[in-house]
Amino acid sequence: MVRLEFHDPSGALEVTQPHAPRLASFEGRRVGFVSNEQWQAYRMLPILKDMLEADFPGIEVLPVDAFPQGNALIGSEETAALVKKSRVDAVVVGNAA
Amino acid sequence: MKNAVAGLGLAPDAAMVTFPMDMFLPGSDLGPLKARRREFYHGLTRWKSDFAQAEAGASAMLAVEGATYGEALTRANNLLLTNLWGDGLPLWPATRERADWILQGAALPRTHVIGKFPPRGGVTTVETCAVALAMAGGRPEYLPVLIAAVEACLDPATFFDQLQATSGGPFPVVIVSGPIAKEIRVNSGFGCLGPDPQRPAGASIGRALRLLQQNLGGALPGTGTMAIYGAMRYTNVVLAEDEDALPGGWPPHATERHGFAPGTNSVSVFFASGVTNIRRRGAKKETPEEDVRNGLWRMADFMRTPNLAALAGWEHGTPGMMMIPPVVAQTMAELGWTKHSVREFLWENSKIPMELLRRAGAPAWIEIDANPVTRDSIKLDPWPISATPGNIVFIVAGGSHPTHAHWLQAHSPRVTGRVVRVPETFDRLLADADRDLGCGAGACRI
Repeated sequence: MVRLEFHDPSGALEVTQPHAPRLASFEGRRVGFVSNEQWQAYRMLPILKDMLEADFPGIEVLPVDAFPQGNALIGSEETAALVKKSRVDAVVVGNAA
Repeated sequence: MKNAVAGLGLAPDAAMVTFPMDMFLPGSDLGPLKARRREFYHGLTRWKSDFAQAEAGASAMLAVEGATYGEALTRANNLLLTNLWGDGLPLWPATRERADWILQGAALPRTHVIGKFPPRGGVTTVETCAVALAMAGGRPEYLPVLIAAVEACLDPATFFDQLQATSGGPFPVVIVSGPIAKEIRVNSGFGCLGPDPQRPAGASIGRALRLLQQNLGGALPGTGTMAIYGAMRYTNVVLAEDEDALPGGWPPHATERHGFAPGTNSVSVFFASGVTNIRRRGAKKETPEEDVRNGLWRMADFMRTPNLAALAGWEHGTPGMMMIPPVVAQTMAELGWTKHSVREFLWENSKIPMELLRRAGAPAWIEIDANPVTRDSIKLDPWPISATPGNIVFIVAGGSHPTHAHWLQAHSPRVTGRVVRVPETFDRLLADADRDLGCGAGACRI
């Protein structure tokens, strides 16, 4: 029998930060959207807003365009500051390429 | 998606609700979105990561067995393919012996971390480069060029994360400069885009880079990379400028673009999304002046197309690389042309009238570009395909035959240069290559 041992070529992965903690529920929470406006976001995100508002009493979902939109703006420090200032409990990011 | 979150340093098992592409097209039925609303809510509330750091740490060793070496080799190749680590062509499994042999070409310790390969974020070390080069059929003397090319790709200014994932499928083009190109057998002449059995280095180096893009970077078709066509990326492009054939006063590419002193071993990396032949030479009677000028017009006319390929590199990158053969460069130089004036001609005469851009719906892409300088270029009519003539990469390479030029259309926010570092034992590695491959740096059989 011939045995061949060789390196796994996929390299290591390094986890350096946890995923954002999940809310226990949306009830009574304030939620915002940040979008780069790609791939039908202008149709999908309003539907998601309507669904959240219908299914979770007491939720407040900000308008889809409450924060700056587009590739050039959603990753900026200014947008991050606006999101923090709005005191939302969660943000849904629509970032498609 | 898994690549994107892993590349940010998050656990790779993100909450996902997946849909076919159709739903993301204009006028689509968004009913499935509503039907699966509970899955969204689960992902946004109760979902937890199951990732347990199992993939962290040093790369593991794999093993296969067979009744014969051939059978074991076949099983190793099957294992690599079923784990999505192959490219469909036969691979050399990176045994300890083969990887250690390749590592003789390293000027840095094997554990040296070069960076993280985006978008997946696989930790990229000198050893992982050697493993990829071993699999790709490479040799130790190729490793310094591969490492320099990887360093260039992983430079944050290169925007490699986007280039790996985008649907346009850009692939790295590595221009090797300095004496190392000939020493390790990188082709600059006939068939310089490969294949060439007498100058095989470019194939192995480029294939190793491609394997790193896939195995560390996660660029798998349809998931890690949305490259619709894939663009012949088995070996990428690794070639050299024919620096010996440059006319007097025509500086090498690495000096012009990166400021490296002539004779410096270096690489220059940009990203192309296609390769096109341009029949440059005229037919029937023509003077040398007509030959040059007609050929330049044919090149510029081809570049003047509103397909927006060059948008990514408009300010700092490149719209593409024009390659002309040495014999043509010589004629041009005798008529007073320089690299600078050729580039000026191509840039000036490849400007696109705004009317044609409008007809093609192109201004919308310019208007939404992330770069404000590029967005502002919408005011220019005719619209230049790059901010300056200097953006165009222009090199002398290919067989000494006057008929054709080659245009590599780019999708490249930057053109990144790196000096190549070789180990102290490099001369011995070159002597070993002469022993194993024959012929030395110059081809001797064809």
